[in-house]
Amino acid sequence: MSDAKKVLIADDSETVTTLLATALELEGYEVETAVNGVEAYEKGISGGFDLVILDQLMPGLLGLEVIDRWQQEGHKNRVIMLSGVDDDRTVVSSLDLGAVDFIRKPFHLPELMARIRQRLPR
Amino acid sequence: MNGTTIGLIAVVVVFGIDIILLVGLVILKAVHRHRRANHEQRRAAYVAVLSRHLAFQHHTDPFGPDAADDDAFLDAVIDLRNIISGTEIDTLAGIIDSVGLAKRQEARLRHRFPLGRRLRAAVSLAEMGDEASAPVLIEHLNDREPEIRIQCARGLGRMQYTSAIDPILERLGHEVPWVRARFADTLVSFGTKATWPLVAYIRVNLGHDSNRGVIEALRVLGTIGDQEVGPTLSGVLRVASDPEVGIATIEALGLVGGPLAIRPLKYTFRSPDWRLRAKSATSLGQIGDPSINPVLAEGLEDENWWVRRNSAAALASLPGGTELLMMAVQSEAPFAADAAAEALADSGALATARNRFEAGEASEAEEALLAYVTTQEAVPA
Repeated sequence: MSDAKKVLIADDSETVTTLLATALELEGYEVETAVNGVEAYEKGISGGFDLVILDQLMPGLLGLEVIDRWQQEGHKNRVIMLSGVDDDRTVVSSLDLGAVDFIRKPFHLPELMARIRQRLPR
Repeated sequence: MNGTTIGLIAVVVVFGIDIILLVGLVILKAVHRHRRANHEQRRAAYVAVLSRHLAFQHHTDPFGPDAADDDAFLDAVIDLRNIISGTEIDTLAGIIDSVGLAKRQEARLRHRFPLGRRLRAAVSLAEMGDEASAPVLIEHLNDREPEIRIQCARGLGRMQYTSAIDPILERLGHEVPWVRARFADTLVSFGTKATWPLVAYIRVNLGHDSNRGVIEALRVLGTIGDQEVGPTLSGVLRVASDPEVGIATIEALGLVGGPLAIRPLKYTFRSPDWRLRAKSATSLGQIGDPSINPVLAEGLEDENWWVRRNSAAALASLPGGTELLMMAVQSEAPFAADAAAEALADSGALATARNRFEAGEASEAEEALLAYVTTQEAVPA
C-alpha cells in the first residue's frame, strides 16, 4: 500500500481540478477528483481521504451541504473550502460546520499548497 | 403533361429540397459537435500543460507551434487567469508573451473585419489582463464598435492601468448612455485611484456636453465613496445651474457621507427646487447622522409631497427619528402627520404599535398613531 497522502479535489471547474491535481501530484500526493456535489459526497463516504478540497458552488449539492451531510451521517473528513463566493457568511458557516480552512478564488497556488501541507495530518 | 403530373413533380421537388436541407443541417450539426469536442479536448490538454508550468516554474513542456493561433489555447489561458493570483499571474504573463498570444490578439483587434473576431480579440485581451496590451486597448477606446470600446475599457480596469483613467474619462461625454454606463463601471473598478482624475474631469467639463459626462462622473465618485471629495462636491453644488448635475451631486454626497457632506446637503435641503430638496432628504438619511433629525423634521411640513415623503423615510431610518415621526402624527399639520404615518407604516413601527396595543402595552404616542390611522382609514377616498 502506498504511503502517499490521499486528497480529494471537488470542483465543477475542470481547470481548477487539473491545476490543483497537477500541483499536488508534483508534491507526491495521490489525487482523486469530483466534478459535482453528489460525486464529492459519495467519494467522501467511501472515505480514505486525508484531506478534501471542496468548492462551495457546485451542481447537485453545494459544498456546505456536502459537509453537513457527512457530519450528520458521521463521516469525518478534513475539509478545506474553496470558493469564489466572497461573503463572510459562507466563510463563517464553513468553519462552523467543521471546515479546517477557507480559501478564496482566485488563489495564490504556493499559499494554497502551504495551507494544504499544514492541514494534512502528520 | 396535365395539371396532376405537374403538381406531383412540384411536390417531389419540394420534398427533395427539404430532404437535402435536412441532411445538410444534420451534417452541419455533427461537424459543429465534433469541432466543439475537439476544441474541448485541446483546451483540456493545454490546461494540463499550463498547470505544470504554473505548479513547477522550471517546467519545459512545449505548447506546440500553433498554440498562439489556437482558440483552445486562448480559452485555457483565460480560464487559468481567472482562478490564480499573485506570482502565478506573472508566470502566465511570461507564457503569453513567449508564445506571442497577446500580440496575435492585438493584430486581430487591429484588423477592420470581421467584427466577431475583433470582438473576441478585445474580450481575450481584457480577460488576459496583460499590461503589455494596455496601449492597444487605450487606442481602441475610440473604436467604431461600442462593444469593443467597452471591452477595452474593461480590460484596462481589470489590469488597474491607472494611465488609462484619463482616456476613459475623455470618452464619457461622447458615449451613448449604455456605453457610458459601462465606462462608468470600469472607472468604479479603479477605486480611489480614480478619485482625483474624476474631480479634475468634473471641474474642467462642468457646463459642457450637456453635462452628460459630468453627471456620470459624479455618480462614479459617489459609488467609489471617497470622503475626501466632500468639498469638491460642495463646490459643484454652489456653481451648478443644471438641476440634473445638482441631483447627481446630492446623490454622490449621500453615498460619500462623512461630516463634510452634511453642510452642503443642509443648504440644498432649502433650495427653491423641490427635486433638490427631495433628493437632499434621502441623502441626509443615507449619511445616518441623527444630529440632522431636526432639519429633516422641518421637511415634514414642506409644500411638496416628495420632500415630505423622503424626509419622513429618512427620519424612519435614523436613530431617534421614529420618536419625531410619532410627534408629527400628533401635530396640527395634516400633511406632516400623513407623511409621518406612512413612513411609520413602511418601517414596521405601525405593526409594532398594533401588537403592543393588543398586548395592552402601547405607549401614548403609539395609541395616538393607531387613532390617527383609524381616522384616516374611516375617511372615504
